Amino acid sequence: MTIESRETRLSTAFVRLADTLVADYDVVDLLHWLVEECTSILDTQAGGLMLIDPAGRLQLIASTSEEAQLVEVFQLAGGDGPCLDCFRSGKPVTVADLSEETATWPRFVPEASQLGFRSVHATPLRLRDQVIGTMNLFSRHVGALKDEDIRVAQALADVATIGILQERNIRSAELIAEQLQRALDSRILIEQAKGVLATTLGTTVDGAFHIMRTHSRDRNLPLRQVADDIVARRLHLGA
Amino acid sequence: MNGSTGGSDDAPPDLCSPFLDALPVSGVSVTVMAGSGLRSTLCSSGSVAIRVDELHLELGGGPQSEALRTGTIIAIPDLATDGHTGWPLLGRALHELGVGALFAIPLQMGAVTVGVVTLLRDRPGDLTPRQRAAALAIASASAVPAAIHTLASADREDSRETPAAPALRREVHQATGVVLARLGISATDAFARLQAYSFATGRSLLDVAHDVVAGTLALDDNDS
Repeated sequence: MTIESRETRLSTAFVRLADTLVADYDVVDLLHWLVEECTSILDTQAGGLMLIDPAGRLQLIASTSEEAQLVEVFQLAGGDGPCLDCFRSGKPVTVADLSEETATWPRFVPEASQLGFRSVHATPLRLRDQVIGTMNLFSRHVGALKDEDIRVAQALADVATIGILQERNIRSAELIAEQLQRALDSRILIEQAKGVLATTLGTTVDGAFHIMRTHSRDRNLPLRQVADDIVARRLHLGA
Repeated sequence: MNGSTGGSDDAPPDLCSPFLDALPVSGVSVTVMAGSGLRSTLCSSGSVAIRVDELHLELGGGPQSEALRTGTIIAIPDLATDGHTGWPLLGRALHELGVGALFAIPLQMGAVTVGVVTLLRDRPGDLTPRQRAAALAIASASAVPAAIHTLASADREDSRETPAAPALRREVHQATGVVLARLGISATDAFARLQAYSFATGRSLLDVAHDVVAGTLALDDNDS
C-alpha cells in the first residue's frame, strides 16, 4: 500500500465519520465501520472493538469476521489476552509473534493460533485518564505494526472515542459553547484582577490571587465576581 | 473505572497529530475561541505554528477570526501572492515567517463553532476538495474534546501552560491588569496598549507581558 493511497483512505475515513457524526446514527454501526476501516487501512486481517458497559465490564461491540469474534469472546471468557492487558493498562499492546507469548497468556495464545492469528495490536480507546475500551487488530502474519501504523491506529481510536462521546453530547453543543464563553471570560477576568492587585498592593501575582481568594471565601462571593469588581475598580482590597 | 493513560490529567489531548497524520501540512495549531479576546490554544505542532497562533493574538483579526465568524474554511493557498487585503499586517508577517499557505478550519459542534484549527504549509499550495473535507471532518471530531479540556483547565488555578500548549497565555491577561491599574484605563484599552507596544518594538506580546508582570517594563504614555 503506498503512502498516497493510505492518505486517501484516511481522508475518506474521516469524511465518512463526519457524515456519521452529524446525522442521527447508531454508535454500533459507527464502531463496526471504524474497525473494518482500521483493519483495512493497516493491512491486518481481522479486527474487534470492545467497550465497557455501564457496569464497567468489557463487551464485544464490533468485529470484522467470525474468527475475530471468536478470539475476542474467548479473551473475555478466559480472562487473559493482550486486549485485556491493553484495557487494564490503558496503553497499546503490540505482540509481534504470538507463539512466543504462550507463558504470558496461556489460555488466549492457543486459541488465537488455532484460528490462524500470528500477531496482534491492541489500541486503547481513551478519554483523558479514562479507558472506555480497546480496538484490536489481528494479523495472520508475524511482525509488529510499524510505529507510523500504531500512530494511525491510535489517531483513529481517539476519533472513535470522540464519536462515542459525541453521541451523548451532540444535543448540548450550544450549552457547551455557552459554558466555554463563561469559563474563558471568568479565567481572563481572574488573571487581569491578579495584575491589578499585584500592582496596587505591590505583591506578586500569586500573592494577589491569595488575597482575592481569601476575600471571596470570607464573603462567600464567587471568585469571578470579586475579580470583576477588582478589574472595574469598584473593589479595592488591602494586603 | 479501570486503566490510566499514564499521562498527566492536566495535559491537553493531542489534537494536532491527527491532522499531521492525515494531511500534507507542516504545522498545526488548535485554538478554542469564544469571541473577541476569549481564546485558548490547546496545541501547536512547532515553533512556526506557535508563532502563527501568537500573531493572530498580537495583531487581532485574521483568518482565525474569519473562520470563527463564518464557520467556513478560510484558505490562503499562496501567502506570497495573496493580497490579503483584510489583514495586510498579518499577511506580511506570515509571509516573512516563511509560511507558504495557511488554512483556518472551523472547529464545529453541529451549528456551533467553538474554535479554529490553523493548518500551515511551508510551500504555497491549495488543499484538494477531499483534503479540505477531511480537515473539516477531523476538526469536527476534535471539537468536543477541545471544548471539554478547555472548560476543565479554565477552572483550574494551576493548569500548566507550555510554549506548545500555551492555553490562555495568562501573563498577557495579568499584564493587562497591571497596565489598566497603572494607567487607570479599561481592560480593552490596556490590552490595546500591550498590542501597540509589541507591534512598535517588534517584540512578541508574550515577552512584553512577561516584562510588564515582572515589573521591568512600565508602559506609560511615552511607551506607545
